[in-house]
Amino acid sequence: MIEVRQLTKRYGPQTVVNDLSFGVQPGRVTGFLGPNGSGKTTTARMILGLTEPDEGSATVNGRTYRELRRPICEIGALINAGAVMPSKTAIDHLRWLAAANGINRRRADEALGMVGLEAVAGRKVGGFSLGMKQRLGIAAALIGDPPVLIFDEPINGLDPEGIRWIRQFMQELATQGRTVFVSSHLMSEMALTASELVVIGQGRLIAAESVEAFTARADSSVRLRSPQLEEIVVALAIEGASLWRNGDALEIVGFSIEQIGALCARVGAIVYELSPQRASLEDAFMQLTATVCEYVPTSRGAAA
Amino acid sequence: MSHTLAMEWQKLRPFGKTSRTVALTIGLAVSVSAIVAAAMAANAKHMTVADRASFDSIGISLQGVNAAVLAIAAFGVLSMTREYSTGMISVTFLAQPRRLRVLAAKLLTHSTVAGIAGLGACLAAFVVGQVLLGTVGLDNGWSSAHLPGALAGGVVYLLLLCAWGVALGALLRTSAAAISWMASLLVVAPVIVQILPPSVVHRVERWLPSQIGSGAMSAHSDPHLFTPWAGLLVLGGYVVLTLVAAGWRMARTDP
Repeated sequence: MIEVRQLTKRYGPQTVVNDLSFGVQPGRVTGFLGPNGSGKTTTARMILGLTEPDEGSATVNGRTYRELRRPICEIGALINAGAVMPSKTAIDHLRWLAAANGINRRRADEALGMVGLEAVAGRKVGGFSLGMKQRLGIAAALIGDPPVLIFDEPINGLDPEGIRWIRQFMQELATQGRTVFVSSHLMSEMALTASELVVIGQGRLIAAESVEAFTARADSSVRLRSPQLEEIVVALAIEGASLWRNGDALEIVGFSIEQIGALCARVGAIVYELSPQRASLEDAFMQLTATVCEYVPTSRGAAA
Repeated sequence: MSHTLAMEWQKLRPFGKTSRTVALTIGLAVSVSAIVAAAMAANAKHMTVADRASFDSIGISLQGVNAAVLAIAAFGVLSMTREYSTGMISVTFLAQPRRLRVLAAKLLTHSTVAGIAGLGACLAAFVVGQVLLGTVGLDNGWSSAHLPGALAGGVVYLLLLCAWGVALGALLRTSAAAISWMASLLVVAPVIVQILPPSVVHRVERWLPSQIGSGAMSAHSDPHLFTPWAGLLVLGGYVVLTLVAAGWRMARTDP
């Protein structure tokens, strides 16, 4: 497992990671979510001992990265898939990594097999596509058979087939009881891959909870279409509902479908559509990171 | 440490590329020595008896080492800068977070290769030089008491320059910067120094790495230069200073 406590990193006047604390548990895929530039990579690099934190600590199985004897046997990481010597062959790249932690040479072939690159083992990495480099990076992360894995933006450059593969692969690794921590700026991708989330924005923790709990945070609304919107708006406003106009429909928050249906019947309005709107992970993320007010107030004002 | 050494050794494999470096070093040494020795042999008929008596047969035969040193220094520099420029250094630090050990392992493995290449280069250059000088009877290097010292001096000179290359590469991190500095110190500085007034030249010249190298491989002593081993000690001092700076930057500044 990974534990991050009060982690802080400043670059000049800018605080990139700000008093960040969270834990990542084994046995499930934990998504690390945040917009570009929110401090995800810096946090990952601090966990991996590549960047020195200004304050706080990050530990893997209770020890800081630099205290690990054979680090790549305890935590595997994919940080930058391009970080390979172009003149080396795929197998040679894995062989020196194996040698570095006293891992059996045969693991290099096994790891290549796990990511489906055995056919290009002897080819130079310089000629690899980004997707192939990502796979090689994942093989490098797996070479020490570590119980903890960190993948930083692993789906960059992968084709749809590759994305599906990596999604299943990460879930499989978690099922084996490993800790899998995956960062991404693509919320929809995380909704499909992760069961737990760590969400940050501008270096601060926004949420650390399950995907369901996070999605539930976003207000679910009810959508209403009617030729008599004006009457309904007045009636709802009297009841104290939050609402705004969305095209030819109304979005209403804080009332159930039953309550709204009864209210429409009371004012005698025709209803074309009355449907629950489930907030997506993306909505939840936008609401919690950006200022929600940006698009709500104007339409609310128009409705009132 | 043994794992870190194994890592750096494995990075040098497969040896195809590494053996090209060795071949290039020896090739440069032999070809430049051959050209210099052949030119000397062609001029031999104009030499006086005194010229012949003071002829530095060993020094001339080892002239090619001054060219080989560029290949060896670049080999050292690139061992570090190629990792920094590709970003592979972070993968290396993932496998071995103790960065000074990485620097030490790089130094040891690359010095080993430089030692093999250096020995080959010095021996081959000397033999080729002596054969060519032998055509005009100037091959008295074989019997010289200075021979073992000059050959050892040449190998140590190449070893130190490889280590210096590793240190400069680790300090500057980009190939362009580190190679430019290396070339400036080895090739440009001696030319610039020659422009200075003679009194200054005599005081400055001895501190130049290239002069230290030539001094170490010569059978003759120049009163304005350090003695061979004192010179190599000075050069070793440069290497140690650069290594300290490089180690400090490596440990302090993240890749």
